Order: sequence, then structure tokens, then C-alpha cells
Amino acid sequence: MFKNFLKVMFRSLTKNKAYSFLNIFGLAIGITCAALIFLWVENEVNYDAVHVKKDRLYIARENQKYDTYVFTHQSTPGMMGPAIKAEIPGVANVCRTSESTNSLLYSYNNKPLFAGTLYAEPSLFSMFTLPFIAGNAASAFTQLHSVVITQKTAVKFFGTDKNVLGKSIRVDNKQDYTVTGVLKDMPANSSVQFECVMPFQIYWDNSPWLKSWGNNSLTTYIELKPGVDPKSIDKQLYGFIQKREPKNLGRVFLFGMTDWHLYNDFKEGVKTGGGQIEYVHLFSIIAWIIIFIACINFMNLATARSEKRAREVGVRKVLGAGKKSLALQFIGEALFMSFIAAVLAVILMALVLPAFNMLVQKQLTIGFGNVYHILALLGLTVACGLIAGSYPSLYLSSFNPVAVLKGLKLKDSSAAYIRKGLVVMQFSVSVVLIISTVIVYQQIQHIKSRNLGFDKDRLLEIGLQGDMAKNYAPIKQDLLNSGFVQNVALSDHSTIYGGNNTSGMTWDGKAPGSEILISQRYVTPGFFETSGLKILEGRNIEEIDTASKPIAMVVTQSLAKLMGGKGSALGKRIHYEGDTTAAVVVGVVNDYVYGNMYGKPDPVMFFSSSPEHTDRMYVKIKAQQPVEASIAAIQNVFKKDNPAYPFEYRFVDDQFNQMFLSEMLVSKLSRVFAALAIIISCLGLFGLAAYTAERRIKEIGIRKVLGASVSGIASLLSKDFLQLVIISCVIAFPIAYWAMHTWLKTYQYHIDMQWWVFATAAVSAMVIAVVTISFQSIKAALANPVKSLRSE
Amino acid sequence: MIKITNLEKFYRTEEVETIALNKLSMHVDTGEFVAIMGPSGCGKSTLLNILGMLDDPDEGSYVFNSIEVAHFNERKRADLRKHNIGFVFQSFNLIDELTVFENVELPLIYTGVTTAERVKRVEEVLDKMQIMHRRNHYPQQLSGGQQQRVAIARAVVNKPKLILADEPTGNLDSSNGNDVMELLTDLNEQGTTIIMVTHSEHDARYSHRIIRLLDGQTVMENIMV
Repeated sequence: MFKNFLKVMFRSLTKNKAYSFLNIFGLAIGITCAALIFLWVENEVNYDAVHVKKDRLYIARENQKYDTYVFTHQSTPGMMGPAIKAEIPGVANVCRTSESTNSLLYSYNNKPLFAGTLYAEPSLFSMFTLPFIAGNAASAFTQLHSVVITQKTAVKFFGTDKNVLGKSIRVDNKQDYTVTGVLKDMPANSSVQFECVMPFQIYWDNSPWLKSWGNNSLTTYIELKPGVDPKSIDKQLYGFIQKREPKNLGRVFLFGMTDWHLYNDFKEGVKTGGGQIEYVHLFSIIAWIIIFIACINFMNLATARSEKRAREVGVRKVLGAGKKSLALQFIGEALFMSFIAAVLAVILMALVLPAFNMLVQKQLTIGFGNVYHILALLGLTVACGLIAGSYPSLYLSSFNPVAVLKGLKLKDSSAAYIRKGLVVMQFSVSVVLIISTVIVYQQIQHIKSRNLGFDKDRLLEIGLQGDMAKNYAPIKQDLLNSGFVQNVALSDHSTIYGGNNTSGMTWDGKAPGSEILISQRYVTPGFFETSGLKILEGRNIEEIDTASKPIAMVVTQSLAKLMGGKGSALGKRIHYEGDTTAAVVVGVVNDYVYGNMYGKPDPVMFFSSSPEHTDRMYVKIKAQQPVEASIAAIQNVFKKDNPAYPFEYRFVDDQFNQMFLSEMLVSKLSRVFAALAIIISCLGLFGLAAYTAERRIKEIGIRKVLGASVSGIASLLSKDFLQLVIISCVIAFPIAYWAMHTWLKTYQYHIDMQWWVFATAAVSAMVIAVVTISFQSIKAALANPVKSLRSE
Repeated sequence: MIKITNLEKFYRTEEVETIALNKLSMHVDTGEFVAIMGPSGCGKSTLLNILGMLDDPDEGSYVFNSIEVAHFNERKRADLRKHNIGFVFQSFNLIDELTVFENVELPLIYTGVTTAERVKRVEEVLDKMQIMHRRNHYPQQLSGGQQQRVAIARAVVNKPKLILADEPTGNLDSSNGNDVMELLTDLNEQGTTIIMVTHSEHDARYSHRIIRLLDGQTVMENIMV
């Protein structure tokens, strides 16, 4: 019997190629989409899974309470790590590292290369899973000037990862380091990332500020002993810093490794449960919606085409087939088609995976060696087959043989409503996706065109290397002389990112007990002109200010308002609590956005700095000069004035764009998914239109005989479908409104939704529907009525 | 073999109730060849469907081979049907996706006959219907007469006790029609009971007895000599 089913199915599939194609292709797109999303989800959910001790590893984080909010960060005092290990019994190990990797210059055989370098205590190798392929953890950091590198870095430095142990490499053109270990490359979805790692001692020796309990400036990782409850440790950590330094606001707590990537969102010092996990949920839901849309398609096409299968059902019933065997037959067909679709989907996936990887900035692989991937694909396929086959099999197997064998037209009642309902569902989803896509796009454009208060265009950031600080004056002069550069200045922080801040400042008239977080930036004269900040009051910073007493400073408008009240802030003094060294306001610049591009920035104090205490240069290219020629001219200056170092630069504009990666991802993906949802829905609509035309062929014939025009008939057939699209819009609008309203609320700085977005979505859905249907409608309207009437 | 008593069947639409069979009683003995005639809408096809257990009556009794089947559920009816009754339709009702051989084989699959036995029996019956040379063709590739032979082959392959034929010659020219009637007569002579609905007096003359229906009731019975 099974063989017989297979035969009928195979022949019916090959005989109705267009139908089979619509069905299988629709499912294949659905499965491809869902499988790609699930690959991404798997990668996200398995973040840090490589680390064996992930359930016992924590990062120490701090909550600092200010007047208006609690700031949660992960900078900790340098003295804290060893103290925790010594005093808290549940702690198995502690590892202090620099806060981020530093780009250091390495040269081997006179080939200079930058590599991201982390300073870490040797416990790094035992706490995290970082297997050595050469060397070992015990001997890696026995010498001070040693460096452990990854396989990839070894290839980058030496062209090979074999026999590199013991090689000597010069760092910063000053000191030779010995390669004491080669680590297996860490997967991209590990939180611990570096190219090179050096002993923490080097960083410690060069950073005197680390020894103060009042200064939070390194990362502390903590490993607990098995079975220790992190909450009990949190209790001991709460006042840990304050016992040594009452003025430090930081309240330390443990943040578990398994939450680092997905749940890294804090509000008022408490984990919100949100973060990257929200995207994981969102995309998982979208994956299932797409699968569902594809299945709806299948149901629609299968039931619409059922009249062709009706006679077979009738004959089989007459010959003794039960309802169950017929239902199984049709479920079987759906499963079979789903399997073909899965095979097609695998091919599609292989084709689009590189593009998808580019889109999501990951290196995902289909990974057929992975049993779970095979099982997941099988599961997805079976789920598709069962969902898609469920309704058609019930519908088809319940046909009355007497009616279908007599050639009676099937009653077009409940099935028709269900079919229409399915189309409405598909189009509702499509309309929601269209609206969301447009609003997400608008919001991102809105933020990107936000007036930041400074001018990020044609602004270059160059990290200071080698003698650039020492030779700043001639470099600046050469740059200006090149004719391409408008302004040059130095700063100790990236303009666009956050940086050092403090709440320890006070001034006359400051509300008692109030804690205000103020950022501090050290810049050279000319910084405001270079970055496009405007001096609103008072004067610019000058070179002489580095030594002036009291210290001269320029503040942003919001701080000026706090200090000056209704009057001017010029001449007002500010100082650290408990310290008499005062700074006086000599100028006021406008507020500018940094750190969080969606939020309201904290006030900033600018101090004059000598070049040695800065670490990056800003170069503004003249407006009329071509960018590429300007870069080349700037590069020439650095070749001449700082020859030992390769020239590396970044556009502030690009840094700005980098801050929207997850929003851009949502935007791009929602565009792709909206397009796919519409394509799949259209496949279904196309099939349904064909069915309707076929069903009404006699009516069309009679109407034509009686004098109906082609356009009249075409619009007769299209009208019903347009009604469905309109109903879809009515359903989709409130859902889209609610979803987008909720999403926009998460941004302080956001757009208001506009009615025309909804109208456009509705109109485009209708246009797409009309185009899809019109082919079938016109074909039916042009058909010769004699033929259709004779066939009755 | 068949005894029906006071059989009633109604068709209802929202506004009208149509009586298809009105307290109809009749019997058919084993080995008989009975023709049912009457104008359109007199209830012939309804009667045939009920006799074939494709449909159930609203009232009355239907005894098939001494079993009361009027209130059997669908599964039980299907079971009884597939072992005892063969159908021949006016429009042949062959499955387009199956070859001649496979169409004829289908009833044997549903009654669970083994593969070897199936091949034997299908070949036997195709031979008898003189359609063996077409065994691997699809229905669309055959003439109407050939299609109806295949349909009859399918109806008899399970060796049913009863064949129900619904205007078996309705879609055929007279020469092919006569061939089909000869086939049915042969089958009847070999012991199969046949009940045939027809509009054709000519075809009806092949039967032993003609039952004439009007408005769901028997109005006349002619015994053929």
C-alpha cells in the first residue's frame, strides 16, 4: 500500500510541476530561513560554552549610585583581587586583567605589526579554558618579559604556528619578549578574546594608580569553589571596598559567566533579564513565524487543489480505503514534500550562508558533522510536514465519495473560510513586518542624524605610537602645511566613547549629598576647533593652562548650568571633596553626545594637557579636499616623523556607525524577513488565485457569453482578494503599533510613529497582492468561453 | 442477497427538503441481473449508492447477505464493501496517476492480498478483459471503451458477489457499449449478481428484471424472458 501511495504522490508531483514547485519552494525558503536563524541562535546561546568552568566563573561588577541613576560597570580597584582571594573562603581563584586589549607594536625581522594584547595574571590559563598547543600554563609567565600568543597570531607574526616557542620578538621598539606559549585559537563566541597575553606584573608596575582603593580601573575575574552560592559571596563583597576606602561608591557583586553575553543589561543596578537574549527571542519567534507562513502556504495550495485529488479520494473510498488510511496518505505526502524541501533548503543554505554570515557578522557553518544539527533539521522538517499536512489531510480524507464521484462541485463553505483565514494571517504578518521594517529604519536614521554637538565628519582618530607625542609640534605643523588638514589636536579619550568619570567633585552651591557623575577629558589647545565643539562663553583652553593655578578648565553647558545657576559659571571653582586643589571655569562649550548615542550625556570638564599625557590624535580634513588624497598626505607626514610605526587610523564616522551594530542587524534582518514573508505569501496567493479562477471557470464563461469585458472579469476575480488584504491590514495595524511602540520606548531619543507608514504598508501590500493575482485573473478572463462551457 | 424494506432518504438544503427515496422496498436474489430505470431525479443513483454502502438511508432496513447494514458506521461499511461489492461508473473513475495494471490492482491492496497473488489475479482479469497489452498505459492514453474495460476489470478483480453499475455505457458509443454489456452478461452468467442503473432500454434488455422508479418509489417491475 505504501508503494502505491509513493507512486501516486510521485506521479502527481511530477505531473503538476508548477504546483509542486510552489509548494516545495515555499517550504524550502521557510526551512532555510528558520535553519539560518537557529544556527545564529545556537551560536548566541552557546556563548562561552567552551569554558569548562563557566558555571563557577564570575566577573566582579560594581554599582555606583548617583543622584539620578545607578551606574553599573566592570572596573574594579587594583588591590581588590588578591584581597578577595585571601579573605573570602568560597573563592577558589582570582584573575586580574587590563580592562581591554591594548594595541601594541610587535616587530619580528623588522616587520612591524600591531596585535591586541591583554595583561593578565597566570590564573587566566587555569580559570578559563585556553589550551596550549605549545608551552604550558605553569611555565608561561615565569619570566617577566614573556608573551603567550594564539595560533592565528603566531601565523601573523612568524608565518607558522610550529616551532615558535622561545622566539624573541621586539615590542614597542623597546624591549624583547620571549614567546612562552601558543594557545589554540579561541572560538569567536567566547568573551575572552586577545591576540597576545602578557604578565599582569608589567601592567601593574607601569600603572601606579592601580594601587589605590579609590580608583576603579581593571577587570577582576573570580572563580568560586564548587557548590558555593554566589549570593553569599555578594553579601561579603557589598562593603568590601568601603572597608578600605569609604569614598569609593562601588558596591561589588558577582556576575556569572553564563549571563555575560545574553543578559548583560542592568537598570538601577539590577539585572533586567534583558540584553542580547531579547534578540535571540525575537529572532526565534520570527523563525517560527516564517515556518508557519510557509506551512500555511502549503495548506492553502493543497486544499485549493483538492478538487483535482477528489476523484482519487472517492475511488479509494469506494474500493475500501478508510478515512485514517487516506489521512495518513496525505500526511505522508506532506512529509515527503517537506523532506524534498529540506534537501533544497540545505542547498539554499550553503548558497546564502556566506551572505548571512556577513549580515550577522559571524562565522557560522552548517556543520553536518554535528549530530544535533542533523537532528534539528530533521525535527524542523518533520514539524513542517506535520503542520503543513495536518489540515489538508483532514480535509481531503473527509470527502464524500458519492458527491465527488458524481462530479458535484464541492461545497465551498468551511474550507473556503479557513483558506481565506490563512491568507489573512499571512498578509497580516507581512504587513506587520513591512511596518516594523520601516519604523526600525526610521529610528536608526533618526539617531544617526542626531545632532551630536560635535562634527564627526572628515574627522580622523590616530592612536599615539612611538614618538608621536614627543614630536607633536613638528607633526602638527607638517600636517597643517600639507594643505589637506584644517586642524589637529590631542586627547586622552575617544571623543565618541565614554571614559574617565568621577562623582567626587564639589562646588559652592552644590546641593548637599547630591552625587553627580562628571566626565573628565585632557586635551590640547585646538581640540574644540578640531572636533567642532562651540565655545559659548569665556575662552578656549591654552597651553599655559597645563601649569596654571588654580587649574583652568572648560566645562560643558549642562555643568555650567549646575554650577552657575541662573548666572554665569565663569570664574566658579570646583574641587575634589576633601582636597583643596581647585579648578576654575574659564570657558563653556556646548553639550555633546558621547557613550550612549540614545541617551542624555553626562557633563564634561576639559583640562589642558601636555602631549605626553594624551593617547590619541584627532585630525580634521579640510572640507574641499578629497579624502583619499588627504589620507595619503597625512600618511606621508607620519612616515617622515614617526617612521618606526605603521600608520593606522580610524574615521570617527565609522566609530559612530559601529555603535549601531545590533540595531543595524535588526534593521537588516527585518528587511530580509519581511521580503521573504511577502515572497512566501505571494506564492500562496498565486496558487489560490489560480484555484479560484479554475473554480469559477464556468461562471466566467457564462459571463463572457453574456457580454462581460475582460477587465470586468479580471476585477471581479481580484476584488475578493483585495478584501482579504484590507482585513489583514485591520488586524496588522494595532499589532504593529503596539510592537513598535514598545520597541521605541526602550530608546530615550526616538521618533514618533507616523500614520503614513501604516498607509504605505497597506498600499504596498495591496499592490503586491494585485500584481500576484492579476496574472491568473487576466488569464482566466481571456480564456475562450466555449471551451470552459463545453467541459462542463 | 439484498432485501430492502421501507427505505427512505431525504436531501435537505436550507429551504427545501427533497425526498429521494420514499418507503422503497425491493429484493434482489443471488445471481440476478437487475436493471433500474427511471427519469432523472427519480432516485436511481441514490438507491445504488445506498446499495453500495457509499451512503446510508435515513429510515428503513437494508439487509445484505442476511446482515442488517442500514446503521453500520463508515468503517464497517467500508469493510463489508471492499470484500463484496464492485463498482462500475459512467465516467470510469480511474486514477490518472496510476497505470492500467495499478488501477486494477488497487482493490486487492485494500483487501490485503499478497504481491504475488495480486500480480496473478490482475493479469488474469486483464487477460479476460482483453486489455493485457495496455497494462502499462495511463488512463488518458486509452479510448473510452478501453477505459471502461479497465474499470470493469477493477470491479471484478476482487471476485465480488455483487457488481453495481451506474450507467456503464453512458459515455460510450454503441459498439463499445455493446461490448461492455456483453462483458457484464458474461460475469453474470459466471454467478456474479449485477445491479445496473441505466437510461437505455437497449441495455436494460440484457437484464433479467427491470425495476422502474418514479419519485423514489417502485412503479413497475418487468420480468425479462
